[in-house]
Amino acid sequence: MVLKDVLSKEKKNAFMLGNEAIDALGNFDYQMEITTNEKVALEVCAGAAFAGVRSLTAMKSVGTNVASDTLFVLGYTGVKGGLVVVMADDPHAHSSQSEQDGRFFAPNSYIPMLEPSSPQEAKDMVKKAFEISERHRVPVIIRTVTRVNHQSGIVQLGEMNRGEFNKVKWKELNEEYTTLGAVARRKKLKMLERTTKLADEFDQSELNFTRQADSDVGVITSSVSYLHVLEALKMLKLQNKFNVLKLGTTYPLPKNTIKNFIKNLKKAVVVEELSPYLEKELCAIAKEANPDLVIFGKDSGDFSEAWEYNPNIVARGIASAMGLEYAGYEAIIEEASKFKEVIPDRYPTFCAGCPHRGTFVALNQALKIQVAKGQEHYFSNDIGCYSMWIYPPISRGDSSLCMGASVGVANGLSHVIEERAVAVVGDSTFFHAAIPALVNAVHNGNKFTMLILDNSVTAMTGQQYNPSTEFTAGGRQGKKISIEGICKAIGVDFVEVVDSYDVKNNVEVFRKALDYDGLAVVICRRECALYGDRNKRRRGEKIVPFYVDKDMCKRPYVCLRTFYCPAYELDEDRQPRISPELCDGCSVCSKLCPIHSVKQTEVKA
Amino acid sequence: MSLNIFICGVGGQGLVLLTTVIGNACAKSGAKVITGEMYGLSQRSGAVSVHLRIGEDAFSPLIPYGEADILLSLEAIETLRYVEYLKKDGVVLMNKRVMHPPIETFKLITEKGSKYITLEDIVSKLRDWTQNIAVVDALKLAKESGNVRAENTVFLGCLSALEAFRVDEKAIRESISEAVPKKTVEQNLKAFDLGKKSAHVSLCTLVPCRPLP
Repeated sequence: MVLKDVLSKEKKNAFMLGNEAIDALGNFDYQMEITTNEKVALEVCAGAAFAGVRSLTAMKSVGTNVASDTLFVLGYTGVKGGLVVVMADDPHAHSSQSEQDGRFFAPNSYIPMLEPSSPQEAKDMVKKAFEISERHRVPVIIRTVTRVNHQSGIVQLGEMNRGEFNKVKWKELNEEYTTLGAVARRKKLKMLERTTKLADEFDQSELNFTRQADSDVGVITSSVSYLHVLEALKMLKLQNKFNVLKLGTTYPLPKNTIKNFIKNLKKAVVVEELSPYLEKELCAIAKEANPDLVIFGKDSGDFSEAWEYNPNIVARGIASAMGLEYAGYEAIIEEASKFKEVIPDRYPTFCAGCPHRGTFVALNQALKIQVAKGQEHYFSNDIGCYSMWIYPPISRGDSSLCMGASVGVANGLSHVIEERAVAVVGDSTFFHAAIPALVNAVHNGNKFTMLILDNSVTAMTGQQYNPSTEFTAGGRQGKKISIEGICKAIGVDFVEVVDSYDVKNNVEVFRKALDYDGLAVVICRRECALYGDRNKRRRGEKIVPFYVDKDMCKRPYVCLRTFYCPAYELDEDRQPRISPELCDGCSVCSKLCPIHSVKQTEVKA
Repeated sequence: MSLNIFICGVGGQGLVLLTTVIGNACAKSGAKVITGEMYGLSQRSGAVSVHLRIGEDAFSPLIPYGEADILLSLEAIETLRYVEYLKKDGVVLMNKRVMHPPIETFKLITEKGSKYITLEDIVSKLRDWTQNIAVVDALKLAKESGNVRAENTVFLGCLSALEAFRVDEKAIRESISEAVPKKTVEQNLKAFDLGKKSAHVSLCTLVPCRPLP
């Protein structure tokens, strides 16, 4: 995306990612925050919306779980200014711990939901969502999936109209947003009324549309599945041969629109990823509107509730539902699998220069010493780059659930297992959800070891700023919050801060933390390598790679056995070689080599 | 008919930037384009892939299996990982560069008789799927351009030589200039030209290309 296109007064076409279309932002006088967690984000937006100012928050599926406490209440209180919640589900769990279907948040909280399928729709629906939100005084969920967010395409931009931002006087607004007991019961009735009105409005909405065909078969779909359906019909040579209803407002459902669509059909195929959300609703609607309608979907076994779809899966499902010839794709997958037998896996791994690699080398050594002394361990992992410990060749981890859970779980384990529990969190996860569990541990005297890997940014999602960074959203100056200060203030007695690259000394610190009869916290600090590289380039500093001195290397392979750095490979003499293009110059491997054969390239003056 | 290009490589090689440059060029020249990107976790060195579809009749952001006209791989091993997307006898445009993942190196020192996969192994395997394989030494050309990170732009140069790749070259050059860091614009434009020139040596013996000016 080119920002100047978006900000331009002219109507232009721009190549945009689904993500960008949803939160394209320029240098306005808006307030943008990367908040500590999703619940706080939603509350920040609610505050603005209570006072009549538009606000938008974006989070992934599992983030909505965190925000849901507030979300449910906002259904009752409503808002004044438009409030849009963009929720990104991840069918296939590409980079999530589960495939949860967030659509159910909408009916559960009586909050309307729109689902775009493409970047253009994503952009258009955000605008519509604000209008709906203000018209009905309710937040609006825009539900996306990975294949919408990570989809780019041409977006036709509209005119940007924006007035000046002025503070309002709260007292003059004469608003209230309370709910409890009798107030909640009264507001529940209003909420139901609002939902009926929304359903009526959605029946007229152009966000739901039909591609008509001369056929008694109809396909009902939404989100990215709509695009897969069009592709699949093309593959099956059925383009324009079946009716297609594309739903853009999936809560409340436009029941009359659906009734009209199915009333003359004999067969309907529902194509939606994950749970049979639309399918169950269709079954209920058809009971009255067209009891003879034969419905195909997940219940009929033509589609699965597991994993994301693609054009081939959708083509197979439609073909099997309709009893059509389709060769399927199993043969090509089967054939291709033979081509892959010869290639190595490429698991996600720590980047060259990643401070976590140093932390793990030291921790592994400390654990080994402890095991020799008779102390065994439970490894409680969390969500962040360090999650990748579970992948080979490290393959360590007894549990990993969701953000902050490593510490909560360690609390419970510390009472019931003989082993020492070791919990790991990153800096942003610490601020996001680990602090309450740490408070709990101190207050209740729960004994375990906790490592806080502080790399200054939220690395895994692209080095965003967080409270451990001196900057805040948009690169504005922010206040960096001291993790050790928090730990000490809570009352943790054992708090050590180490440099992640200082492997040798850290082994001893970790050992002490594992032996400590109480709660021990070690903060491993060193900025994310990618973030650090960016800063170095900005400062004009060179990244100076290391190399293996071939005359000195006796091939003990300590580097390869313990360090697993992607910059390393073996050369034709089976000596380790460091790719200068990949080496980050972190120096950690050079300190691990027992014969000091890893040296830094000399910088030409 | 749409042109389907499946792009793969390793995190850090600039696949997403390459996609953005092509997409912006399409927007400038009025071509319809749709892409599906998968970069998973944001770290370097993992597998990254992009479905790129140019043309009016591409609907899904994902290319159906066996329908990619071109399999463009910025790293040799990755070519085989996504072969199911390539048409039988489709075009493979691949990097000579092999980046061995840490697990492969680890096996080499811990398992007897274990060997690295070679470029020759990969190409000979690919020949069972297609004969149209062009191997580009993109790292060498990138170094020649003065920017070791410009392998992605080298491949963009290769693509631009193809007759089937109907994106206006002026728009591509403009798009490169807007997308890459200011200091590297000259180097990237040079990498683009080097890529285009190299295509006429290998790629263009396999598939129709536009004549060199």
